[in-house]
Amino acid sequence: MELIAKLLPLENVVLDLEATSKKRVFEQAGILFENRNGIARATVFDSLFAREKLGSTGLGQGVAIPHGRIKGLKEAVGAFLRLAAPVPFDAPDGKPVSLVFVLLVPEQATEQHLQILSELAQRFSDRGFREQLASGGDATILRDLFIHGAPHAPDQHRAAV
Amino acid sequence: MKIVILGAGQVGASLVEHLASEANDITVVDTDRERLVLLQDRYDLRTVVGDAATPAVLDAAGTGDADLLVAATRSDPANLVACKLAHSRFNVPRRVARLRSADFFADPGLFAPEHFAVTEALCPEQEVTDTIVRLVEFPRALQVLEFGAGRLTLVGVRAYEGGLLVGHPIREMRRHLPPDIDARIAALYRRDRPLMPDGDTRIEVGDEVFFIAPTEHLPAVLRELRREEQPVRQVVVAGAGNIGARVAAALQGRCRVTVVEASRQRAEEVADRLDDALVLCGGASDEDVLEQANIAEADLFLALTNDDEDNILAASLAKRLGSRRVLALINRRVYADMVQGGPIDIALSPAEVSAGAFLAHVRQGDVVQVHRLRRGAAEALELVVHGDARTSKVVGRRIADLDLPEGVSVAALVRNMEIPEVLVETEDEVETRFGQVIMAHHDTVVQAGDHVILFCTRKELVPKVVRLFQVAFGFL
Repeated sequence: MELIAKLLPLENVVLDLEATSKKRVFEQAGILFENRNGIARATVFDSLFAREKLGSTGLGQGVAIPHGRIKGLKEAVGAFLRLAAPVPFDAPDGKPVSLVFVLLVPEQATEQHLQILSELAQRFSDRGFREQLASGGDATILRDLFIHGAPHAPDQHRAAV
Repeated sequence: MKIVILGAGQVGASLVEHLASEANDITVVDTDRERLVLLQDRYDLRTVVGDAATPAVLDAAGTGDADLLVAATRSDPANLVACKLAHSRFNVPRRVARLRSADFFADPGLFAPEHFAVTEALCPEQEVTDTIVRLVEFPRALQVLEFGAGRLTLVGVRAYEGGLLVGHPIREMRRHLPPDIDARIAALYRRDRPLMPDGDTRIEVGDEVFFIAPTEHLPAVLRELRREEQPVRQVVVAGAGNIGARVAAALQGRCRVTVVEASRQRAEEVADRLDDALVLCGGASDEDVLEQANIAEADLFLALTNDDEDNILAASLAKRLGSRRVLALINRRVYADMVQGGPIDIALSPAEVSAGAFLAHVRQGDVVQVHRLRRGAAEALELVVHGDARTSKVVGRRIADLDLPEGVSVAALVRNMEIPEVLVETEDEVETRFGQVIMAHHDTVVQAGDHVILFCTRKELVPKVVRLFQVAFGFL
């Protein structure tokens, strides 16, 4: 949780993003990371696409966690994008995606980064968590969900980890 | 993937045929409404009528949402402009262009993002030319294809009466090969049906056999398994179009080349450019002209005009007049399937040859090489392995344990592609080659970074194979 709190500043939580395709989502992510974190948008875009080419980062159930390594990046950084309308993502279950967590890590990714990734996947596997993300009213609430977990089931993910 | 294809010609249509079945969202743009209607009748896709090299048409085609743009119109300038627009205006991450003119390839800097912004430039005419030239190097081969940056070669041949392997189980092949040379039979077709060969399979006369071997060993392998072949010394090329002229130019140094071209003007142009070839003006299916070209002495006749019927007719006639082998370029697949194995030894479909090159660049996954075999019914693929035991379904597994669909086999691997091996080192030159060739054995364990060469007896199996090699979500 601490890990996610650190890499997800409030301004990196975007609600009801208008995007018509996976490509547009990656563009928007590029712009966001450029403005907030000073990473060139083209670098973000290329890195996400390069990873995606090797296999989809769609998890199924409308969730994707696109990720990539960024040269020169010191610490992992993330963004959560809730899309106004789902987009095709070549996910294993074929379902379009509307909950997108973008994760960028330094070029020398470590065990800790893998841990973040698996923790995120673990969270998203909980239906209640997904439903709350989909219905939550503002960025603060959604960020709190990532940090404290779903309020009605506080122990669930802890037990799973 | 969302893919925009510009041009509904042969290349465009053949890409659609392959990609439409692979869960892609495809839009095709062409100026010719009828061509688009024909495609739309057969496949699930969107079409846009208009000039592909304009921002408005690209926009209407949804280029702003596309993961990939393939510019395959008939016009080189249109394809280049479309790639430039796709990059600067629509930010499409991958842009593949078809270019006919060899000029553009002389300076790869032209394709850089700040210039034409082409991520991959392909020349179908050159692919077809290379294919024909390789066939000349290996007389009797039906197909000759390279993998692993040339380290491995796959050759398709037809088993003939009296051949060393005919009537014997495949395992006996080993006896005919020197101990330091290894080869595999990657696939076997009997009466047009694929058989999954094992050591006990006996080869019959007429079988189409696909061998794979390290490229440097291939001549030795073929020598062992086949009667002594005469090299190709005399070639007659019919049609001095784009492909005919290239093939003649590539062959004129190594064999005696005679070109037959119907248009006087074109014949004169080509004659000026070819120093060592004889150019005759006349129709390719004209008996007198062929006799003038000394067809009875020809080892190989290549019918390379842009007309299927002319090529079939000319090649059949050339065979009757005594040419040892004949090849015809045939665009329509029904024709190709119909004639190969009759008087025409090899029916080569230009669209099939070039579609392979395009497919390598448009598929999801790290696909290095795609070769279509048997006129598009089968495919041989070269895929790069990524991930680890946790994120990959192939890393750390024995070939026997891979979850490959029935009809797919691993033929060989190339390991450590980035590590050079010095072959010859003298004061003024160093000859190196990259990678270590490993012929597939059921015990071979796949590693990350391996280039795996697979044979798919049916093209429908390819998406499954590509998926098997993709990394799982957790790959960072």
